[in-house]
Amino acid sequence: MSEGRRKVVIVPCSGIGKTYGTVSREAAYEVVEDMRPAETQLVALSLLVLGDEDARAAVAGSPAVTIDGCKLACAAKMVEESGGTVAQDFAVLDVYRRHRQLKPKGIAELNEAGHELARVLAEEIAAVVDSLSRDDGGENA
Amino acid sequence: MPEFLETTVDKFIFRVATDRYYHSEGVWAQAEGNRVRIGLSDFLQQRSGDVAFAEVQPEGTVLAFDDEVAVIETIKADVSLASPVTGRVVEVNPAMEIAPEVINQHPYGEGWLAVIEASDWESDRARLLDSQAYFVEMKREAEEEAKRL
Repeated sequence: MSEGRRKVVIVPCSGIGKTYGTVSREAAYEVVEDMRPAETQLVALSLLVLGDEDARAAVAGSPAVTIDGCKLACAAKMVEESGGTVAQDFAVLDVYRRHRQLKPKGIAELNEAGHELARVLAEEIAAVVDSLSRDDGGENA
Repeated sequence: MPEFLETTVDKFIFRVATDRYYHSEGVWAQAEGNRVRIGLSDFLQQRSGDVAFAEVQPEGTVLAFDDEVAVIETIKADVSLASPVTGRVVEVNPAMEIAPEVINQHPYGEGWLAVIEASDWESDRARLLDSQAYFVEMKREAEEEAKRL
């Protein structure tokens, strides 16, 4: 990734104490820390809720991928309310519907199926990040 | 379009359609002759959470009142639903297979579960709550749950 290219912002659900929220955060960490560290930046939803200036600036200046744990879609809504653009919103439930064998359980610590569901979700997010990065590179070329 | 009784508990709004009867556990029953359409009340779907999968007993299944007519898997739990009707399942909503989230979106309309051919609807109806009675019971339950939060 070239210097100065915008990083894709990843904003996961902040549903603490919720299994699907935990899946969303684990997937986000996997993308940002392991799969696409050079292309992505994690922004905590709680910072957007609090109106943190750095967080707002990050989502306002870059495409965002949001990961929501329930239909309230807090991540997507807060990015939009913060002046950002949601390039893609993922709902954990939709991913689970496509992979029913991966039923997530647990909160502080997911079961193995939950970890695997997070990995599957992370791979889907990484593919979107790649697409957005290519688009961004084209525009900047 | 049905009319609704409505209450707000904490930040949640719950509606009860007035044109049908209710099992005390929250499954509604609406008779069309001796065919009875069933589904989840608004309160039951909100309390259960976003539906991931819904498995309804297949057509031809004979059920007694209170038998398990369906299980919904939500982001919170697996919820067993008791039949409010004695009879035979004659139709299952095809949306349950492909888009069960319709239960959350339209609990009193497109989110119906099944149609049951009732063997004794008059007796079943006598065991169910009318909308006003269910509204009172639902509101009491919702307020109790709100206190626990």
